[in-house]
Amino acid sequence: MNYKYKDWLMQIAFTFGAILFAMFIGSLVIMFIGKNPITVYQSMLQFTFGRSDSIGAILFKSTPLIFAGLAVALSFRVGLFNIGAEGQYFIGALAASIVGFSLQGLPWFIHLPLVILAGMAGGMLWALIPALLKVKRGAHEVITTIMMNYIAYSVVHYFVADLFLDKAQNLPKGYGSPMVRMPKILESARMPTMHDFVGIFGVEMPRYIYLNWFFVIGILLAIAVYILIWKTPFGMEIRAVGQNPHASETVGIQSKKVYLKTFLISGAIAGLIGLSDLLGYIGYMDTDFPRGYGFTGIAVALLANNNALGVVLAALLFGFLRRGAEGLQAIEQIPMDVVVILEGVIILSIVVASQLMRRYFKTQEKKREKESQKTSASDGDKEGLENVE
Amino acid sequence: MLALVLVLSLTLLAGCGSKDDAKQDAPAPAPTGEEPLKIGLVFDVGGRGDLSFNDMAYAGLERAKLEYGDKIEIEYLEPAGSGDNREELMRLLAQQGYDLIFGVGFMFTEHIDKLSKEFPDVKFGLIDGYIPDLTADSNVVSLLFTEHEGSFLVGAAAALKSENNSIGFIGGMQIPLIQKFEAGYMAGAYYVNPDIKIQSDYIGTTGDAFRDPVKGRELALSQYQRGADIIYHAAGASGTGLFEAAVQTGNLAIGVDADQSLTVSEAQRSHVLTSMMKRVDVAVYNTIVDLVEGNFEGGYHMFGLAEEGVGYAVNDFNREMMADIVDELEVIKGKIIDGEIVVPVDMEDLAEFKASLGN
Repeated sequence: MNYKYKDWLMQIAFTFGAILFAMFIGSLVIMFIGKNPITVYQSMLQFTFGRSDSIGAILFKSTPLIFAGLAVALSFRVGLFNIGAEGQYFIGALAASIVGFSLQGLPWFIHLPLVILAGMAGGMLWALIPALLKVKRGAHEVITTIMMNYIAYSVVHYFVADLFLDKAQNLPKGYGSPMVRMPKILESARMPTMHDFVGIFGVEMPRYIYLNWFFVIGILLAIAVYILIWKTPFGMEIRAVGQNPHASETVGIQSKKVYLKTFLISGAIAGLIGLSDLLGYIGYMDTDFPRGYGFTGIAVALLANNNALGVVLAALLFGFLRRGAEGLQAIEQIPMDVVVILEGVIILSIVVASQLMRRYFKTQEKKREKESQKTSASDGDKEGLENVE
Repeated sequence: MLALVLVLSLTLLAGCGSKDDAKQDAPAPAPTGEEPLKIGLVFDVGGRGDLSFNDMAYAGLERAKLEYGDKIEIEYLEPAGSGDNREELMRLLAQQGYDLIFGVGFMFTEHIDKLSKEFPDVKFGLIDGYIPDLTADSNVVSLLFTEHEGSFLVGAAAALKSENNSIGFIGGMQIPLIQKFEAGYMAGAYYVNPDIKIQSDYIGTTGDAFRDPVKGRELALSQYQRGADIIYHAAGASGTGLFEAAVQTGNLAIGVDADQSLTVSEAQRSHVLTSMMKRVDVAVYNTIVDLVEGNFEGGYHMFGLAEEGVGYAVNDFNREMMADIVDELEVIKGKIIDGEIVVPVDMEDLAEFKASLGN
């Protein structure tokens, strides 16, 4: 118990070190553009935590990243690099959107679940192709999923700007431009926001914060993924194949089957990434649909060390950074490019610090194992096992 | 584990943050007569430095600042890479008590529609986007252009100047707005020479298509190789690749939105035949002037050929090149303004237009 306390302190020290380091590098960048770093940081914190709307905005912004992180982390667990969450969520959102505007007259409790299922099916479909290529032909999933991303962008464009272009926008002929979007999703398929719910606790969230129930679904899903990986036989197979597919074969695990199944589940989760924006905020699919969540999801998963619960926290960190970035832009007048640099520096230093930390704990672990072997039969430390992986 | 610590540290940081000062989310006080008017602008994808659409909007903002100095305060923002925080950025400006906020591009349509209701005291300028049922009392002015008419003229110019009877078009994304440029350009070329060969390519299927000079260059090279000797682009910052290709192959290019002869490098200048001017700068500037003078009106402002809102550029660098065709272009321009020529706005109209030329 004693060393656990020490570990905990070390973790805090490392993380703070990382944040301080990031702030230091960030200060140089901020000074370079002629601003005072202290006032900039101050206003960023004030903006993100001193305003009633920012907390809701952070949670809303982290919602898609929870799904993205989970999708990527799950595939990482089985040793596959799903770079294709990006394309999978685009296709998922496309499928959800089509079901969302085309099925009329359904009550919400049928329509909404159908739309969510369509999203998952879309993501799964887009994961199926690379998964089959992987297990049948041995094609490397990084290459195939990246290519599938490009195809997904183009497929969505074809549907949005051509096949299903919403023509019901009565523009005067020749003047201006219509929105390039599909028809609006029906009310019965929209995800309700959490205003009423937080209202019960006396919290009044501004109307323009689109925090919706996908945030809660995301957290529940994180718990489910955690249980899947650590508490089920299939999860054991995932971990075994992820660590050594050949060794797993010798103990009777069919690694190809495990690959296929895990990749499909990862794709289905990825299909949910875009739905918080689609069903909770925007309400239609357009050429401007938010991009990049799939890629950010990789960073989220790495930061969380592929731990499902860690994904939630890492996603919140990203949500915080993004909200802070908006404040820096709009209030401190920091250009977008500098904001992007700052975000990059912060993420990089935290990743480096966490790697250093992991090494430190690994060596500590080994020391302890040796000691415990000397003293007596050790009691298995499950937490330790998690850290080693 | 690590992440748990992260959150702990974040909450700690939060503690520091809230200690700092009093809250600042109180709405800014309404501007009094003496205070400068605050004017904000949020760019479309491509952002500042595209030497085209966004930079034109900025030019209008800058000109107003030069002219009105202390009377106005300006601020411009660029949305994050994927553009998904447009609405949030605009809202933050509105919350800070900005008086007039521009959204550069039709992608702002829905956001400005929402925000204008949320902030009835803030004025909004929407470029290229159409919100139905605006009136003079609305707090939104929709600034609309007839890009197809301007494109018709540069299409005619290209056809008149082409030696191979072969020209090209490069668009950013295949969307109705850019197809307007394409249809107008092709119609203008066919009007002059019904047998002309026109190649057309689009750069991409996401907003990135408007900031991909490498792809712009590749497409241009390939069109030049297949015989085109003049290429017109409507691809924002990707268009810089076209000018490079024009120099490399010794052909001509036509710029868009801004008078691009003025912004390209010296070596490229002699390769820019003309530019299709879309006077976003005038639209922005006029709207600011209206606000400062107290004449702001909501509704729709149309910028067509007659209003000089669109047109072709003649400057010190291309005057010689254009000298032999300007007269003819002016005649065509007159016909469009008089309604004698109805310029097609999309591919369907173009087919009809082309058929009507046969007779």
